[in-house]
Parts: sequence; C-alpha cells; structure tokens
Amino acid sequence: MSVLPAAAGDPTQVHLTSQTRILAAIIAVAFMLLILEMIRRDRLQERYSVIWFVAGLGMLAGAAFPGLLELVADLMGVRDTNVALFSIVLLLLLGLALNFSVIMSKQAAQITRLAQERAIEKAREQAIEDRNGGSAEQPLDPKEKRLQG
Amino acid sequence: MGTLVFIPAWNEEASIEAVVADVREHLPAADILVVDDGSTDATTERARAAGVLVAALPFNQGLGAALQTGYLYALREGYECCAHLDADGQHPASEVRRLLAEVEADRADLVIGSRYRDPDVPAESDDYRPTFSRRIGTSVFRFFLTLATRQRFTDTTSGMRAANRRVMQLFSENYSPDFAEIESLQLAVRQGLRVEEVPVRMLERAGGSSFLTPLRSAFFIFKGVVVLLVGQFRPRQAEAEQ
Repeated sequence: MSVLPAAAGDPTQVHLTSQTRILAAIIAVAFMLLILEMIRRDRLQERYSVIWFVAGLGMLAGAAFPGLLELVADLMGVRDTNVALFSIVLLLLLGLALNFSVIMSKQAAQITRLAQERAIEKAREQAIEDRNGGSAEQPLDPKEKRLQG
Repeated sequence: MGTLVFIPAWNEEASIEAVVADVREHLPAADILVVDDGSTDATTERARAAGVLVAALPFNQGLGAALQTGYLYALREGYECCAHLDADGQHPASEVRRLLAEVEADRADLVIGSRYRDPDVPAESDDYRPTFSRRIGTSVFRFFLTLATRQRFTDTTSGMRAANRRVMQLFSENYSPDFAEIESLQLAVRQGLRVEEVPVRMLERAGGSSFLTPLRSAFFIFKGVVVLLVGQFRPRQAEAEQ
C-alpha cells in the first residue's frame, strides 16, 4: 500500500465505469419520480421531501459528471472512486437519520403537550360537571335557562 | 389563590384513595388534582369516586410529563403554591404540609422532601428503607448533582416537592419527560431559583411494586449521568437573556 496521496490523473486510480454511471442515473431519476408520486398521493409531506430531492440530484450529478466524484475522492485521499461514493452515501444516510431523530423529538414534545392540554381540559370539564350536580346533560344553571326561555 | 396538591398516578388503584384521604386530612384547604398517566386500571374512577379532579393523560407518557401536567394546571388555574407527592402511599401528607410551609413563608422557590432524615431521629417500624440498587443510584446521583449545582442534595429522586409560581412557570415550559426528578433540580438551580431540601419521613410502599430491577437501575443511572452532563451545557437564565 502506498502512503503517497492519490493525485489527479494517477494511473492507478479506479474510475467509475460507464455502466455504473448509467445505472446510477436511472436509479436517481426513478427515485425522484417515486418521491414525486408519494407527494402526489399524500404519502409524504413536501417539507420532508426536500432532503430526498437533494439526495437524488446529488446522485444524478455524480453520474453525469464523474469528474466531480473523482475530485471529491482526491480530496478525501481515496484512490478508488467507488469507495469515495460509498463513503459519501454513508455520510448522507447518517445525516438523514439524525434529521429524523430531530423531527421525532420535536413531534414527541408536541404529542406530550397535546396530551397534557387534553388532560387539563378533561379536569376542567369534570369541575364544571361537579358544579352542575354531576350531570353533563345540564351544563347551564337554572338562571341561564330562564334567560333563554 | 390557594394551594394545589397534585398526585401523579400510574396504575395505582390500590392506594390512590388512601393517599387522597391522607392529603384531605392534613391539607384541608388545598385543592387536589390526580394526574392519571394513562393508567389501564381503575385509578381514574377511584380518584373521581373519592371526589377529586382527575387530569387523565390519554396514554402513558412517563412521570416527567405527568408532573409537568400538574405544574401546567397549577399555573393556568392561578394557584400561588403547589405540591406533589407519589400515589403509592410512600409520602405522608403531613410531611407535604411542612414543605408547603417553607414555600408559603417564601424561604425557598422549590422545596424537596428528603427521605434521608436527620440521623438523630429514631427510625420507626414502617419507615422507608432503601434497597441496595437504590442506594448505589442515590450515591451516584447525589455526587453528580452536587458537582453540577454546587449545592448539597441528599435525595435527588424524591417525588415529594412543593413549589411557587416561579417554579410552575419554569417547569411547565421546560421539564424533561425522561428524567424528571434530577434534571429539574439542576435546571432550577441553574435558573437561579432557591432550592431547599427538607428532611421528611417516608413510608414503605403501600401497594404496587418498584419498577427498578438491577439492569434497569444500571441503565437508569447511566441515563441520569448523561442527562446531567448535557444539562450542564444548557444556557443559564442570565446567559439566555443576553
């Protein structure tokens, strides 16, 4: 194993084959179409789809301009462009998973507050019922009834 | 307006009526609210039958969320002071009254009832005796919380507390659902509130069983230390206002 950093134009550098590139482009386009379809069917909200479109476009860019990926591979000091690709995808997935944890935490807090609000409401309803003699069917006191009648 | 005593309860049908009766006897002027944390037994029905209001959470959310519900209710309904105690009968209401007296006299914002009483007071037959795993956890939390707050606490996980409106305001907004007892102490101290510990008498559990198995205890302790560590990096009130 060489300890020298991989330079651009290094003859030993492993490039992406055109077969890989075509496959990646097809998968990227199909993926973005799937996302579009899911939004159309209300299976996915727009605000959570942005990150997936970014991922799809990134994949397409990588397939269309292999020089881009090789540049990144050089910056990472990786000789094999495929390895660089895997590393990038892995990092992206890590980022996505973290993003979901953040969303989940926020929603968990919202659910908790919603449950608390409902619990407090129930206690207040009970207090009103108790004041009206233990019946929910008579929420008005007699004075109010007379006014209405 | 007056005082609210709230009792977080999760599947405590065996003891809830006795606890309510005890609070009524020793704190006749206080309003009582049972916060039912999604019980699957008859906790809500028994509490209602005992004639107290019940704030029933639609599903189990954990002690932190249940306590926060109580603080939120007290804040919204305009109570001057509030206190809470466990629903399993470990906390005598007569001791809660002593905590409330401290808050009412404005000697502290938040008062914690500590089961580790004065050593001079002789133990009684039904007094609380901690289990082995509980003792380890207590020592670890005591050490880290004291380190974090630079204030001495003996009973960090005590669920018997009394508080004023400043605490209600803080806890109704910021209260960790996962690690209620310890993080809330750290939070209160960091926000510049006066937190005081009062030695109290606690009893053995009247009903139900403790959820702490050894493995769970270990996880509980680990989680607590992580939570405290993270809590140290939260902004203090003075810093947050800048």
